[in-house]
Amino acid sequence: MTALLIPAALLLGLVFVVPMLRYVWLSGHADSVLTGLVAIPNQGANWVRLLNDARFWQDAAQTLRFAVVSVGLEILLALAIALLLDQRWRGRGAVRALTLIPWALPTTVMALGWRWIFNTPYGPLEQVSGLLGGPALNILSNPSISWLATVFGDVWKTTPFAALILLAGLQTIPSDLYEALKLEGASAATCFKRITLPLLQPYIALALLFRLAQAFGVFDLIQVMTGGGPAGSTESLALYAYLNAMRFLDFGYSATVMMGSFLLLISLCIICWICLQSLQRRLGRA
Amino acid sequence: MSLSINNLGRRIGDRWILRHLDLDVSDGECLALVGPSGCGKSSTLRLIAGLDQVDEGTITIQGEDITHTAAIERKVGMVFQSYALFPHLSVAANLELGLKVRGCARDERQRKVRHVLQLVQLEDRAALKPAQLSGGQRQRVALARALLRDPQIYLLDEPMSNLDAQLREDLRPELRRLVLQDKKPVVYVTHDQHEAMAMADRIAVLRNGRIEQVATPMQLYQHPDTLFVAEFIGRPQINVLAAEQGVVRAIRPEALELRADGLPCRLLHREWLGSSQIWQLESPAGTLRMLTSAEQTVPERIAIGWSEQLEHRFNAENGQRIKG
Amino acid sequence: MTLQRRLWIVLLLTWSLGPLLWQLYTSFSINEALVTPFADLPQRWTFAHYQAVLTGDPPFWRYLFNSLIVGAGSTVLTLIIAIPAAYALTRSQARISQVARVVLIGAALFPYVLLFLALLEVARSLNLGNHLLALTIPYAALSQPLAILLLSSAFRDLPIDLEEAATLEGLDLWQKLRWVLIPLIAPATTSTAILVFLFAWNEYPIALTWISDSNLLTLPVAMARIAGSSIYSVPYGAYAAATVLGSIPLILLVLMFQKSIVSGLTSGAVKG
Repeated sequence: MTALLIPAALLLGLVFVVPMLRYVWLSGHADSVLTGLVAIPNQGANWVRLLNDARFWQDAAQTLRFAVVSVGLEILLALAIALLLDQRWRGRGAVRALTLIPWALPTTVMALGWRWIFNTPYGPLEQVSGLLGGPALNILSNPSISWLATVFGDVWKTTPFAALILLAGLQTIPSDLYEALKLEGASAATCFKRITLPLLQPYIALALLFRLAQAFGVFDLIQVMTGGGPAGSTESLALYAYLNAMRFLDFGYSATVMMGSFLLLISLCIICWICLQSLQRRLGRA
Repeated sequence: MSLSINNLGRRIGDRWILRHLDLDVSDGECLALVGPSGCGKSSTLRLIAGLDQVDEGTITIQGEDITHTAAIERKVGMVFQSYALFPHLSVAANLELGLKVRGCARDERQRKVRHVLQLVQLEDRAALKPAQLSGGQRQRVALARALLRDPQIYLLDEPMSNLDAQLREDLRPELRRLVLQDKKPVVYVTHDQHEAMAMADRIAVLRNGRIEQVATPMQLYQHPDTLFVAEFIGRPQINVLAAEQGVVRAIRPEALELRADGLPCRLLHREWLGSSQIWQLESPAGTLRMLTSAEQTVPERIAIGWSEQLEHRFNAENGQRIKG
Repeated sequence: MTLQRRLWIVLLLTWSLGPLLWQLYTSFSINEALVTPFADLPQRWTFAHYQAVLTGDPPFWRYLFNSLIVGAGSTVLTLIIAIPAAYALTRSQARISQVARVVLIGAALFPYVLLFLALLEVARSLNLGNHLLALTIPYAALSQPLAILLLSSAFRDLPIDLEEAATLEGLDLWQKLRWVLIPLIAPATTSTAILVFLFAWNEYPIALTWISDSNLLTLPVAMARIAGSSIYSVPYGAYAAATVLGSIPLILLVLMFQKSIVSGLTSGAVKG
């Protein structure tokens, strides 16, 4: 019987464990064009470089900012969408199907579209802004706000996924709980606070954690939409690792960047977990 | 003996759920296993079928020791409590599956299936799915499946418990006839003692994983070996008097009669059964149930007595029957 | 339906479909219309962009075809491996299945893009590059966690006496799976298949690094290449046409299988 598990276990080991081990090994070696693409041990020199690499830390901060803002917005939107889809009305199924479409499309396909939509001077946003007499937005060329455009693109694509998870959670809440509270004269807002949120909490936590981990590894969107620019202001950790490997051909350092990113992600998840646990305890006490 | 169980035992962790079980069932005999919930009757059945592991003892079928044979190789025809029909297959396909897998050719399969469907009178339902059948029909399909197995032994696990009371009574003789037609041993698990009395040639009363008594229905009723058996078999329940000097006396409700010199009683409740009635009486010896004819009227002063010969006496400590 | 709710629904649909509809509009507009949208133009509509995209070299449908091969192949491979594994998991001892669940959930959360370098090395050393079906291997591997979690919960929902009855009928393990168990989890299998297909179709970093031959590009990589040509040139009409064409198969898939997709994701959420 356990023999049935072996192919799956092998595949998983091959695709998760082996690469991580390889990275650990590789990060301890210099392997780049400079070494003629041969791996030479360099006793943690890569790691020293990483700790002092301003670009790495800037990218880390940018990725974190992207992930937190993006996921935060998504959860809020997803909650609103889930609440809307949870009620019964005609055509709900069709609308639900249509809201799924953004999630089903490949990121790179719409990334082009976003480039166009945010384009200066021809994109629709610019046109509308011009019509309203506003200034040229120049979103994609402005290092301080171009990351917002990427957030927008990410939120658009992944909100349906979070919405579905929250919808699943909403549907597990028995309606007689609401009825009981309404009989006591509670308003919709109170129902939401006292019933919906607490019972939805595990699903929000699930969606949050899941999306945070995924958003941290953002690559497709950034590479195609902005290429990491302008001036590296939207560059993510994954993109940086990719550039190190594919453009600078510095494989040792690329592996180091990826290990570093992974460690940062783990720390982020642990922090999140702790926060969620304490939040849960406080909500439970309320 | 076609089915022979010796010193059978099974445990879960440290707890023995069955211990020292000895049982014999002959060809063409239907043996019922009865007892309260958790007494081990279904566990026994599962051990015979091979669905659970035996920890102690042996099981022999037709002279062959099958204690450690895999379930898939035992030729057992089992009817599950839920019938366990494959919901995605039609009735005919349900029946054909086992035959197909055991290497039966298509024409032969269809012939056999048609034959057994005639036997259980479901030929016109062959193309339906289980969900489209009534409970009684599903039971018949499950039985048909067991018959098709051509097994060495039939095991029925509470096959009537999902059916309503009236249907149960109607189906009893039919079920018994069908399952005994090829003269194999049948083990029938039920929690309903009426059903056991109606279906079985012999009954084994189980309690906490051990057999209290194995006997014909009449013997169980007239000569219960233990207090537990006396209380378990027979409705309305036997009257048990308080223990005196280590002896517990018990009297069947129908053995009670009105006697001028009997115990003075007060009528608590009167229940009509159509052809008889049950009186619930309060007496100095405790609450008594009395079964009497439908015409019997309630006298002004009620005095109840019984013949000592009809008393059952049990040891107060271990519940065993006291002889003599 | 209240006006307020109607408003929300309209808002939701605008949000979800707006950007795509804009692409649609763009793809049919002549370049002048894109550049000066409010000007009064006698003829704003054109098929030229679509022509440009469809007659390119290699033709656009080639990318769709490649993605289809990879998607279908990954789905089949994933199911072949995941179904027995999921079954074995439900019949294992509690300890093993608990540990396995934690491991699988962790693997599902993992941002797989971080694996691309090592996987690229694997591709190079085993000569798997520029080979469409080779992509199915990492895709199937990355899909195992989700597939096994979904399928094992479906197996767990099956009443155990069905299996016992099958055993007593003489069915061995493979026969049980083939004739009874796998047919009974068909809805879960469909959901899983679609989710895997979507993942394989949309995957980018691995496809990007494993395949460089322009005839073998999958859709996402092809789109990125189209985009990669200078940000400053303006054939946005053609880009939009490519976007629309690239989106159509998936839109159809979603609309056809939305119930299955939703049930797969939500059951994963409820039990996860």
